[in-house]
Amino acid sequence: MRHFAAVCSVLLSALVVLAFASPGAAQVAQAVDRPAISASAVPPGPRKGLNIEAELTPLMRWAGPGSTAVVAVRQKIAPGWHTYWRNPGDSGGATTLDWILPAGVSAGDIVWPLPERQRLMSLVNYGYSGEVYLPVPVEIPASARPGETLPLVVEALFLVCSDQMCVPEPLTLRLDLPIREGEPPLDPRHGAAIQRTLEAAPRPAAIDAAVSLADGVLTLSATGGPLAGSDIRQAWFFPFEGGLIDHAADQMGQRGPQGVTLSVAQGGEIRAKGLTGPIAGVLATDAGAWEIEARPGPPLAGATGLGALSGEAASAAKTSMGLADIGRAALFALIGGLILNLMPCVFPILAMKAASLAANAHEARAARRDGLLFGAGVLATFLVLAGLLLALRAGGQAIGWGFQLQSPAVIAGLALLMLAVGLNLSGVFQIGSGLQGAGSGPLSRLPGGVGAFFTGVLAVVVAAPCTAPFMAAALGAALLMSWPAALAIFLMLGLGLALPYVAISFSPGLLRRFPRPGPWMDRLKGVLAFPMYGAALWLAWVFARQGGEDALGLFLVAALMLAFGLWLAGINQSRRAEGGTAVISAVAATLALVLAVALAGVAASQARAPEAAADSGPLASRPWSEAAVREAQGAGRPVLVNFTADWCVTCKINERAALSSPRVAQALEQANAVYLVGDWTRRDDAITRELERRGRSGVPLYLVYPAGGGEPRILPQLLTEGVVIESLRSAR
Amino acid sequence: MLRRFIPLAACLALLAACQQQPTAPATETADTSAAAPAAQDGLAPAFTLVDAEGAQRSLADFRGKTVVLEWTNEGCPYVQKHYTGAMQALQREAVADGVVWLTIVSSAPGTQGYVEGETARAFKAKHEAAYTHLLLDPTGEVGKLYGAKTTPDMRVIDAQGRIVFEGGIDDRPTNKVEDLEGANNFVRAALEDVEAGRPVRTAFAQPYGCAIKYPETVEG
Repeated sequence: MRHFAAVCSVLLSALVVLAFASPGAAQVAQAVDRPAISASAVPPGPRKGLNIEAELTPLMRWAGPGSTAVVAVRQKIAPGWHTYWRNPGDSGGATTLDWILPAGVSAGDIVWPLPERQRLMSLVNYGYSGEVYLPVPVEIPASARPGETLPLVVEALFLVCSDQMCVPEPLTLRLDLPIREGEPPLDPRHGAAIQRTLEAAPRPAAIDAAVSLADGVLTLSATGGPLAGSDIRQAWFFPFEGGLIDHAADQMGQRGPQGVTLSVAQGGEIRAKGLTGPIAGVLATDAGAWEIEARPGPPLAGATGLGALSGEAASAAKTSMGLADIGRAALFALIGGLILNLMPCVFPILAMKAASLAANAHEARAARRDGLLFGAGVLATFLVLAGLLLALRAGGQAIGWGFQLQSPAVIAGLALLMLAVGLNLSGVFQIGSGLQGAGSGPLSRLPGGVGAFFTGVLAVVVAAPCTAPFMAAALGAALLMSWPAALAIFLMLGLGLALPYVAISFSPGLLRRFPRPGPWMDRLKGVLAFPMYGAALWLAWVFARQGGEDALGLFLVAALMLAFGLWLAGINQSRRAEGGTAVISAVAATLALVLAVALAGVAASQARAPEAAADSGPLASRPWSEAAVREAQGAGRPVLVNFTADWCVTCKINERAALSSPRVAQALEQANAVYLVGDWTRRDDAITRELERRGRSGVPLYLVYPAGGGEPRILPQLLTEGVVIESLRSAR
Repeated sequence: MLRRFIPLAACLALLAACQQQPTAPATETADTSAAAPAAQDGLAPAFTLVDAEGAQRSLADFRGKTVVLEWTNEGCPYVQKHYTGAMQALQREAVADGVVWLTIVSSAPGTQGYVEGETARAFKAKHEAAYTHLLLDPTGEVGKLYGAKTTPDMRVIDAQGRIVFEGGIDDRPTNKVEDLEGANNFVRAALEDVEAGRPVRTAFAQPYGCAIKYPETVEG
């Protein structure tokens, strides 16, 4: 019987630990609704509508003449409302921008960030909520004079909708953009956010895509480019036009070595007219999002065969912890509470109290009342603890601490916490052993029900040395979960702790079924340390995946320091219990623990994604000159020309995104191409003439000359790797 | 004996409970069953609704005539754009030609666009409309039956009971009144085709406007 109890307890405790860990893991966040005027009549700065505040903000503090500046329409949308993407989905309308610009200045198309799918039962819309930037490239003419300011005005029409209604909000926005020479810094207020939006926005990437129609289902296959050989688990297709697909239907997917295939229900337009042309849109995956154009044709090879994709996409509507998950966590907390009764510091006391209760069995009603009040005392104490914790967390979040399982710092902290808990259970150090003797305080000696209530409170306090490990685990889990879940866990722990005593108060005969206190309790405590070590190991593994080998190394050293520090603390405690002052061990323990925490912090900050593509740095290039181009073409080699300038931000973004990876270097090699860079920082006349010849007033400008000679092809201004590689391939 | 079994049973029950995969987020399948019947065989599904005056009206009552269904919500900016005069004019034209124009409100009670009793009776005069009947669909059943998604959303049903046009009313999906000028009104074109006995040239247009406030929509 006792062995059975021990084995089962081990299993239960292991499951308890995993339960605390798995809801957190499962909760990995899945990543979020015009009159003609003269420029001078419009005030600059943010404008407020009913449910939206909008502003025209620049990426950089100023723009150079002849450059491409980027400005963004910043939307701050009231909670519960949203605006729409270029294809709004089943209802609503896209944001439209009408520009009023000075002569020579022209604005390009909006660089739309990836939208969220917003579901209203049977309708699905593609849109944005919260704070969104819509970047737009603006060409500044070379004739702009440094020192002047260009007024950029845009009439923006936002359709802002909630679940209940839609309100069109026309706002006229103005930005006065200074023109200056030299490299502009990022705009201090919003520059970084706009840059992030630009870098993350979906762009073409030389992905080959085909679509075919059968039985009302469109089969879209996409291969090549960044899809080839990548580990994609989720994908979703957002078409640029409505009526092509059924926006509300699930998209079943398959993945293959070269790419993915999606099956999408047809939309009304296709149903009425059939598949008459290519379908363009954004393919969003958990590895990135790109623009694709699928031409009608049979499915491409290599897009199936490696299994199914999940239907939920990277930008699916946020799912919070479901009722089933909370229920499961609560159940495990209850069992955890029950196990707490078996701990060495809880069990003997409860056994004594229960025995005295059983002895007064003839006062059945009083006994039952006392039992219930004891339970109430326990639950109240746990509630207070939970409340404190949630208040702390809310306060922390207000300051800006986020407690998410994706953050390496949080993972490192949790892993160290589990290790500390395991060491405590193994007996390396004690927590609050001073309270152990307070078996019955003055409050609990109060007569009747009140005494019983405070006995309950006391039970929790006294049990602290042994329950602390479980409390710590519950704490860790509660920090990550929503507040109903956290509250449920704490209450269930309390309920589990109180349950046996309450049960006995209702039926004293049960006491006979309880095992007697004995050395097996310490053994149990020691065994329960190992699930905690297991949890620490699992968290360390997650940390390694998130942070890479170097960060893991630092973390392991931190863990070692922690173990050492806690051992020293244990020595300190036993010395003091013997009556000494033990200063040395106290100091040493503190030092070691501080070092451990510091190392863990450094490890977390060093964490970087291990698969991050190593930047091979700038490609080998030669300075541009017309002679160099002629020479290369004479030798039968294609030429890639990059006109850039130090102060040109778009140039820098493109170079980072599309011109510095090993794949591009490889493509250059395979094409036997020459890479020439024209630096226009000081406005070299020769380059100016070349730009004018190509009909451009500024940088960046990308040209690819074919191998056999002839006119160059001009690449798009917002460049991607795929475009460069594809153009080099066709230039051979 | 029982004492030994209780912990064993508890362990097994717990292990069994843990075998369950973590519940995948419930995939909400779109309610496409309603849209399918209307589309597949082209026949307009039968329905019966109560009109603003309280009389029962069925689609079957109008067999042999061309019927236009118009989903509306007077609070929606897109509907308001059309109700500055264009929709009323089209209604008058159509009714004068013998077409039965049924304006349907599928908004759930308490949501934008919902009308009942006195407000329903006053709707026609308030908007100077020229429809034949205003039908009230507060449960959203008929809207779902026809797969109506937005306001405005249009259906043109010929005398034999087949849907010959469905979708958006014109090719300018904005809420700006200026965009009425020069817009290609698909309903007018479809009615002309039906009267001339030709097959309708544009049988489908992408619907646009505000989402219909079906009952679940608002609580979701």
